[in-house]
Amino acid sequence: MLDYQTNSTYGSLYALATAHAESINAAVKADTLHPGMYAEYGVALALMGHDGEACRMLNSEAKAFPESRRMVRRIKERLLPTMVDDTLAGQRDTADMLKLQNWAYDSLAALQHLPWVAAVIDSTDTLRVMQQTPIDSVEYPIRLTANQKREMLVEEQQREELRRKEIEDSIAAAKQAKIDAREQAKIDKKKAKKDKEKAKKAAEKAKKEAAKEKAQQREQEKQRKAEERKAKQQQQKQQKEQQKQQQQKQQKEQQKQLQKQQQEQQKQQQQQEQEEGKQ
Amino acid sequence: MKKFVYILVLLPLLLVGCKGEKKLARYNEMYQQEPTVIYVAPLNDLSMRRAVRETVDSVYNASLNIASRQLYLTATDPLTSHGYYVLGPLASAQLAATETRTGRQLRNDNINDLYNDLGIDAVLFIDLLNWSNTSNSWSVEAEYVLRSTVTGVELLHVHVNATKILHTDYKGNPKPLKEDLEFAKQYGCDLETAQRCRLVEIMNKYVLKDLPAGKRARKHEAEQYSKPHPEYFNLRIHRDGSVEQLKDEEL
Repeated sequence: MLDYQTNSTYGSLYALATAHAESINAAVKADTLHPGMYAEYGVALALMGHDGEACRMLNSEAKAFPESRRMVRRIKERLLPTMVDDTLAGQRDTADMLKLQNWAYDSLAALQHLPWVAAVIDSTDTLRVMQQTPIDSVEYPIRLTANQKREMLVEEQQREELRRKEIEDSIAAAKQAKIDAREQAKIDKKKAKKDKEKAKKAAEKAKKEAAKEKAQQREQEKQRKAEERKAKQQQQKQQKEQQKQQQQKQQKEQQKQLQKQQQEQQKQQQQQEQEEGKQ
Repeated sequence: MKKFVYILVLLPLLLVGCKGEKKLARYNEMYQQEPTVIYVAPLNDLSMRRAVRETVDSVYNASLNIASRQLYLTATDPLTSHGYYVLGPLASAQLAATETRTGRQLRNDNINDLYNDLGIDAVLFIDLLNWSNTSNSWSVEAEYVLRSTVTGVELLHVHVNATKILHTDYKGNPKPLKEDLEFAKQYGCDLETAQRCRLVEIMNKYVLKDLPAGKRARKHEAEQYSKPHPEYFNLRIHRDGSVEQLKDEEL
């Protein structure tokens, strides 16, 4: 009910009506029918446009709870103005109603001499005098003959049959709608499953591709690092070789210098010896 | 001798204290008239006028609107379960649409025609007066009036201030009730709205169950010697769903 109050759409009204129908079925089975249940369902159906079924439900409310008859009649006057007549009026039984009808015929006969007055019996069993009504437009009730009564009975039976057919059709339509809804739900489920599977496959593919890319990146990084190491090693080797060459050069130079010094010393010694020899 | 004097003084006091007011005295008119059909009039929401500060906050106002609707929708259930004939909210709305008088006129004027035309014995008026909230509680203030269509007398007049305590865990985060979460999930509303709706629902049950049981109910005669609620009282709704009735000073 709160759903319908906050969001009054046909869908929420339909949901409300189905909820009422289910609660009525359960209550009838458990013999715990609360007052107002039929009326709520009837009003919901009337608002949805199912007038026949709504009228039946409102009548069953009036039948189950006689104190509600006048209220039900007022509701029908508002929602189902063409179906007001079949409501049980007041709390009177049929004998009282027949007496009242006879009294109404007599009173109407008495009032017929007034050209601007007509009388109507309303739901509260009071004679309402409607003023300023042209006498031609008022339809007076007429006493029926036996044949006319039979015809009326036959017509009523035909109407009842038509109503039953309408109800059966509506039930069958509702069942068909339920079946269609189930089938549609199944199809939707299958579609959803397929979509899920597709999405899963796509996700797996994406994962694999991402893993491949990562592996390739790792290999490239490894190769790069190895190249860098090689380059470093080569540089170190070259540096070492250069150092060795320099050391060798220095050693050679030192040796040469030593040799020169020795030669010079020898020369000097020789010169000294020569000088000494001369002396 | 002294003990005897004490007993003589205390005994009448105890007897007077235990007696108190009974339902038979409070709802005397109701027991005399024995109404069966009650019509719940549309809710008279006076709270939005007072929520001046929050008029800009559309979410807050929407939450209050939903909760006030729930107040009207859940007023019928306690009455029907108490043995009265009450039309549901959808059918009552159709009846209300045919009514030409305003709520104030219905409340004050002669409504004998409702009895004559529709067979309604009494009309229940609910005035929603104020919503208020603190850091750890929601409060609602309402007034319930049940007026007889036959005599025009007020059969019930109660002023209620109901408070729902919001619990938190040791970190200070809100710790909502399971029932509130289920309500929010069922009706697709936020938690705050659900808490307010349930507060209003419990308040309806607690106030309206105090009415004498309907004429058809079994306990109609038996319960007339039990104690009724006071006319003005405060409620505190606890975490476990229990309801505590407080005096004005305690709240």
